[in-house]
Amino acid sequence: MTLPPAGVAARNVIEPMLPRPFRVSARRAETADTVTLEMEPDDGPGLAFTPGQFTMIYVFGIGEVPISISGSPQDPKTLVHTVRSVGAVTQAIVGLDVGDPIGVRGPYGSGWPVGRAEGRDVVLVAGGIGLAPLRPVLYAVLANRERFGAVSLVYGSRTPADLLFGDQLHIWRSRFDLEVEVTVDRSDEHWFGDVGMVTGLLPRISFDPANTISMLCGPEIMMKVVARELEMRGLAPDDIHVSLERNMKCAIAFCGHCQFGPDFLCRDGPVLPYSHVAQRLTVTGL
Amino acid sequence: MNLQTLRESSPLLAKLSNTELEFFESVSSVVGLKSGEILFEEGGAADTFYIVSEGRVGLEMTSPGKAPMVIQTLGPGDLVGLSWFFAPHRWNWRARAVGDTTVVAFDAAEVRRRCREDRDLALEVLGVVSAELAARLHRTRIQLLDLYKAP
Repeated sequence: MTLPPAGVAARNVIEPMLPRPFRVSARRAETADTVTLEMEPDDGPGLAFTPGQFTMIYVFGIGEVPISISGSPQDPKTLVHTVRSVGAVTQAIVGLDVGDPIGVRGPYGSGWPVGRAEGRDVVLVAGGIGLAPLRPVLYAVLANRERFGAVSLVYGSRTPADLLFGDQLHIWRSRFDLEVEVTVDRSDEHWFGDVGMVTGLLPRISFDPANTISMLCGPEIMMKVVARELEMRGLAPDDIHVSLERNMKCAIAFCGHCQFGPDFLCRDGPVLPYSHVAQRLTVTGL
Repeated sequence: MNLQTLRESSPLLAKLSNTELEFFESVSSVVGLKSGEILFEEGGAADTFYIVSEGRVGLEMTSPGKAPMVIQTLGPGDLVGLSWFFAPHRWNWRARAVGDTTVVAFDAAEVRRRCREDRDLALEVLGVVSAELAARLHRTRIQLLDLYKAP
């Protein structure tokens, strides 16, 4: 991992709420409401990060939101985020163009257990925009493919038009060392893939339940249902990891907006073992 | 086709004893389907049921003037068709191969007859079909929540 220069690190300690200036260097429309932005810093080196971490993205004059990093940890020079327009700030981010300035704080939070997954089978299950925070795991695993057992990605989307990273999905599917299953909730006449929920595809993928790490990212109900299904297939709850979101504001475990039971998700999460949160995921109001 | 090879992926075949499996084998045949070929039509007699061996089968609802709507796809090991087990034994959906597909077809009338004679077998089959119904209902309920929609 590349450490930031002493000046940047010191500034983060002294002024943890001060964003670093970045600039959009590339923009790609993924779907009607989702874009992937590449950003590069104006003031020094890029951000070294662990897959699963997030940054706080600040659109000057509008506001700040937490967004998971969707780029490759092998290329920390370029910060990549995939953002869906769901509110005022994300709408502004989606509207950014190449050359536009943006503020970035972070990276923050816990990452996916990629190191723990070495020597084991890896099952990634993503739903909707949840593929974006899992993409860095795939980059990391594929960069050192020989260190892992069977690797599979199961991805569910609302419709074919909502699928993220279409070109990459085709490339990933063509690999012999990666099993990729994709399904949609609602098909159209041009769709020749699967239709149905992601859990329906789990019986098709190969993994040894006693030696598998699974990482789930998507709507909480989806993750809960998938985690239960994986448990039924023999995975230990400690080997199932989920990424949770709450209303993160400060990202430094100070404001408490992202409190989820005893955890501050900005610091203790967003990635947590399912065993740690399974009971809480059934509590209304948390 | 030797049904033993399908046993691992098929919840129905996995439940059967060797004797029961031999009976199922005696009323089965392998069917190869080209992509787009129709396995059964909505409203038709459910006198055969299937287990996917290779490929995929889509369950579709049709409507005049509209493209068929696929509501679910079934893959290797999955049971295609549940209506064969319940009166009036009529298909509620159309089933069509999505890509080149191989299925094993079973004579549903023979299996029902055997179930009437052998209550243990009937209970096993009922258990599997009910579990499949419950799983499909569960998934359908989750799909109805439209979880991937923008908040």
